[in-house]
Amino acid sequence: MADNSSTLQAPGEVGEQRIKLNVGGKQFETAASTLQIGGNESLLAALSARYATAEDDDHEPIFIDRDPEIFSILLSLLRCGRLHSSARHRFTNQDLAEEALYYGIESHVRYALSPPPLIGIDATLVSTLVPSAEAYPTSIYAGFDDGSLWIAHGGGQISSYDWNLTHSGTVRTHLDEITSLRRVWSGVAAIGSMETPGLHFYDVSSGRHVRSINWSDPSDPRVYKARVTAIAAAESRIGSDGTGRPIFAAFECPHRENCILSIDRTTLQIISEIGRQPGSAVKTSAPRKLVDLTDVGGGVVFALNVNAGSFGYCGYMRLWDPRTGKAVWEMSEPGGGARSYRFGDAFSEADVDVEEMAIYKVCWRSGDLAVADMRKLGEDPWVYLEERSAALRSCGGGQNSIVRCYKGQVFVSRVGGLEVWSYAEEDMVEEHGVERRNKILRRNFVDREDDARRGLIRCMEVGGERLFLSRDGVEGVEVWESSNLAGAISLV
Amino acid sequence: MEFCQLPQISIEKEKAMPPFAGVATGGLGHALKRQEPAIVTLNVGGQVFQTTSQTLAAAGVSSILSSPPPFIDRDPDLFADLLALLRTGRLPSSAADISDLLAEAEFYGLDPHLLRSSVSSSSYFSPLSLRRSLLLPLPGRDPVSVLSATPSGELLAAHGSKITSFDFSLRHRKTLLTSLPAVDSLLSLPDCSLAVAGASDFPGLQVLDLASGSLRKTLHWYPHVSSPGATVQAVGIASDRQLLFTSYESGRRNASAILAFDLGAGSEFRSVYEIGRREIYGAELDSAIPATKLKWVPSFNLLMAGGSHSGPSGVVGNIRLWDARTGSDPVWDLQEKDDCFADVTVSDELSAIFKVGVNSGDVFMADLRKLKVGEPWTVLGGGMWSAEIGWEKKGGRGCTIESQGKQVFCTRGGDVEMWSEVAMTVAPDHEQKVMRRNLMGRAKDMGGARILQLVFGGKRMAVARNGERSVEVWESSDRC
Repeated sequence: MADNSSTLQAPGEVGEQRIKLNVGGKQFETAASTLQIGGNESLLAALSARYATAEDDDHEPIFIDRDPEIFSILLSLLRCGRLHSSARHRFTNQDLAEEALYYGIESHVRYALSPPPLIGIDATLVSTLVPSAEAYPTSIYAGFDDGSLWIAHGGGQISSYDWNLTHSGTVRTHLDEITSLRRVWSGVAAIGSMETPGLHFYDVSSGRHVRSINWSDPSDPRVYKARVTAIAAAESRIGSDGTGRPIFAAFECPHRENCILSIDRTTLQIISEIGRQPGSAVKTSAPRKLVDLTDVGGGVVFALNVNAGSFGYCGYMRLWDPRTGKAVWEMSEPGGGARSYRFGDAFSEADVDVEEMAIYKVCWRSGDLAVADMRKLGEDPWVYLEERSAALRSCGGGQNSIVRCYKGQVFVSRVGGLEVWSYAEEDMVEEHGVERRNKILRRNFVDREDDARRGLIRCMEVGGERLFLSRDGVEGVEVWESSNLAGAISLV
Repeated sequence: MEFCQLPQISIEKEKAMPPFAGVATGGLGHALKRQEPAIVTLNVGGQVFQTTSQTLAAAGVSSILSSPPPFIDRDPDLFADLLALLRTGRLPSSAADISDLLAEAEFYGLDPHLLRSSVSSSSYFSPLSLRRSLLLPLPGRDPVSVLSATPSGELLAAHGSKITSFDFSLRHRKTLLTSLPAVDSLLSLPDCSLAVAGASDFPGLQVLDLASGSLRKTLHWYPHVSSPGATVQAVGIASDRQLLFTSYESGRRNASAILAFDLGAGSEFRSVYEIGRREIYGAELDSAIPATKLKWVPSFNLLMAGGSHSGPSGVVGNIRLWDARTGSDPVWDLQEKDDCFADVTVSDELSAIFKVGVNSGDVFMADLRKLKVGEPWTVLGGGMWSAEIGWEKKGGRGCTIESQGKQVFCTRGGDVEMWSEVAMTVAPDHEQKVMRRNLMGRAKDMGGARILQLVFGGKRMAVARNGERSVEVWESSDRC
């Protein structure tokens, strides 16, 4: 996939073996190297290898009993590394993907059909995926690597959509409302609900219940099982492997005693209990958000909770070390080390940019975005980003905002609107004798005014070069992608 | 066309075998062997197609493709779609209209099951992805009264004295006239061209030939030699036993019985036996309530019969299970007095009887394996969800309940709720099964006229609504 440039070699080199194919009655002739691009596992590569060992006087074409038209598209994909635009008119993506599966070149088709890198300043709404029943999403999960999607919606159902966003099935879990949904392995989801206790693992392709994990406060004579308020399950990223890492889930008892459990991903057994808190104050209540930073952030887990009250927001951020079970850094607002002129403007949401090692928070009153470098966390690490453009200066506060960091961009929802903060380059500066390019974060809207009127954004997830969001009281999940197509509108 | 994960795999295994088998099992040698005789060249309308005899064998022995002539004077594009079906077991998404393909498949003598299963196979039935997709208008002014569906997806709808039949593609319909004033019971027989129809106010069960539109036979029951014919209250079928069950009530409404008719070839609907004959003596009016629902449970070899009526003390009824071999006394007899069923059904897969209580509106479940131990009913829950008020309890009058696969569907007014079984692994060797409810459809599908009946056939669910002159069809869809 990555070495598509090798497909551009001159066709018919000297000594290059040519292969004749007869697909469903239509003759094709191609270079052996073209077929080998499909990879050693593919049927075409195997055929070309076999052809090479056959006798030289053999000029009979290899017969494949498949549709010739769709094969010609796949062959040209191997030849030039891209799908011809006419192919998309004649066949659906699903047709191409399924036929590619037969030839064993599915990864090439997947690569050619995947959306281009998501750029917040150039993203459009491409489709809305609506499950067939009770289609109000309660939680969504975006596949980090392939752009697939799981939607937890009304009545404890999970609808799954593959990398092509084709509906691949809906299952019913025993929960009535799923409020946390994360992927543990390729087909297994960890789910939790604010209504029903326990952390549950379900196979989303078969609907089979795999296991449940419960926690209750051992010091409490009543054995009330705790509900799950947040789940963190690290994804396999470049340079790291998420498969062997534990899952973290925050449990909260009805009497508000809470903790974070670290759970082994393979055996689904509890490894340890960290961050046990009484929950008697906002500062010690169960986190609503967990981010696993154990392989990048110095081996910590980021936990966050916010509460909205009549005097505004209050909440905490804390970094837990799962090995010692202690908090290594914490910050709570209002109070703490926030600058005095920011007093009364506590954060309402935050997210961690795992690659850049930065925490971004949104202030509820002013709606400002602030960033903290995780390598230099101290009493007041926040740098408040200034908006210079007058048109954007008052875009509303940060109530109900959602922040998601994705590949150096920060997506922030403001009620129904969606904005993105992305880096723009400035002139080179010299610092300590080293030339360095300065970058500043600029704010832009992703959507238009009428998009924002569709309703308050409830869930937002970014993954696989796609942005998914669901709105309050609106059925289905919106899919936003970047595209290099101009989308010209004909006026005649 | 249709895509859902599990059937897809099975199709890949079964149907995609012929073209793939040559490569996979026979090694690559098979595909590489030069133009061997297995490769068949066809010229259809001037376009040359090449395929293997293995692929063409999937068309069936009666097809002209099993020994194809050198030139076939037909449209090549339509042939390409049919060839794709033979190769992969499914139609390409760019395929031509199904009605054109049907006519073309008929010309080639293609195994009719092949095209049918690619369009409406029950392996594509996925209850959680059903969505309201079609409305089939019925001719004339009479509203729909009763529906029936075959496992392969054909639909029958009775309206007034007429019966309209839809083919599996739901593209063509045909209407025939019966001598019944209004059809109340309708069932399509395994032999697809036959159906039985009865009325609750007209004697006899009519066996109709749908292809010719003619009356084949009328099946009567006479409680006594001199009495007039009895009316039909319900029909049920035991496909595995080739039996048709009919619940009759005498014209004077003082006697009732269930008759079993033989559906076997050449038996000409012979009456095999009579079960549960009841007659009213004196003032005991409840003793002869005719069964208004008949359901066969294949794995238990039992017939469930349920009947109820409104009396001075509210709705009373009974649910009986009959063993087909010893028909004199029911295996299980439950008198329903407190919260009688508004409708009752039985699920073979879940091994349980389900009812909606007429007073409470709750759905109840009775395990078939534990019927004789104590109180049989377990309450699953009731009420109706509405965005304004939340869960709202209503009575169960007018509710219907049906089971299909591992799901139970219960209608409440114009809405359908579905109960599905979720198996929870509580210990490595112990599973706990719970029934969970979902409301079907999106927001725009909610409400509508009261639902009279739900039927299931192929990958579809068909809905009859009170006063509507059309049949509503729900299908599981592949995309969003």
